[in-house]
Amino acid sequence: MTDTDPQVADDGPVRFMPQLISLDYTVRTNPVAAAFGEALADGRITGHRCPSCSLVFVPPKGFCPICTIETTSADEVVIEDRGMVTAWTVLTPIQYHGQQERKDYALASILLVGADGTVGQQRLIDIPLDEIRPGLMVEAVWAAPEDRVADDRGYGLGTAIDGWKATGEPDAPASEYEGHTL
Amino acid sequence: MELLYRRSLGPVVGAFLTALREQRLLGSRTAEGRVICPPLEYDPDSGDAVDDLVEVGSAGVVTGWSWVAEPRAKHPLPHPFAWALVQLDGADTSMVHALDAGSLDAVRTGMRVQVRWAPERTGHITDIACFEPEAS
Ligand SMILES: [Zn+2]
Repeated sequence: MTDTDPQVADDGPVRFMPQLISLDYTVRTNPVAAAFGEALADGRITGHRCPSCSLVFVPPKGFCPICTIETTSADEVVIEDRGMVTAWTVLTPIQYHGQQERKDYALASILLVGADGTVGQQRLIDIPLDEIRPGLMVEAVWAAPEDRVADDRGYGLGTAIDGWKATGEPDAPASEYEGHTL
Repeated sequence: MELLYRRSLGPVVGAFLTALREQRLLGSRTAEGRVICPPLEYDPDSGDAVDDLVEVGSAGVVTGWSWVAEPRAKHPLPHPFAWALVQLDGADTSMVHALDAGSLDAVRTGMRVQVRWAPERTGHITDIACFEPEAS
């Protein structure tokens, strides 16, 4: 119903009232997102390759937005859990209610090897913030199997991957990612 | 999705919640002598400011109610209960709160109920955990 705030638990007059407004959503999944989620739980990242233009979409959408044709499980391909940073944002967490972050951190768009589009909002792990650059090669740090919950709406990678750490490989050349930077 | 609001209360509602923390209930007394509980800053009949706060009883009578057969996650009780209007002893208006009556058959307009206080009180309306049938 409402949250309590230690600020009002003292002995003085009550001058403010904390009120937690929350909304719960129930989102219906779809077969394409469900299959993607099951593969993630198994430790595999999958996509759909358009049978017409050959572009690989990760996560799979069940259609190619360019050719406007349906894609199905017959078009499924497995993508590497490794790729290159194309763009990133350093976030400074403001300590609002419910904030879990305490220190600056980076979220990146990553172009996975074998995919033609980036996955966004990916946490970079153990990479100094001033060393992040386009073309930096990273690999997935998978969550424990029981913690791999897919986003059933079909966006992103859910909680399957804790983050991405540098592989130590040479940076990818700009020609591999220049079409994917913002 | 969650948003935490911090609402300023003013001198009347603030005093009401401060008193709840001490297990006391306050109403506001208008110029005509009507006692409004929970208190308002203004007399709803005349619009005049009201600053005379008086203590009312922690038990009262149900003046209206609605049964909740399937409580939702945000409801104050996990089992079926009634939303009830309770006119506390000494008050001329009713306040709405949860009534833990056990079953639908146990609720009726006119029944006597009493406050069940929350074990830990913070100066919030939830300091009243709910109402319950008055011990006889
Ligand atoms: Zn296509």
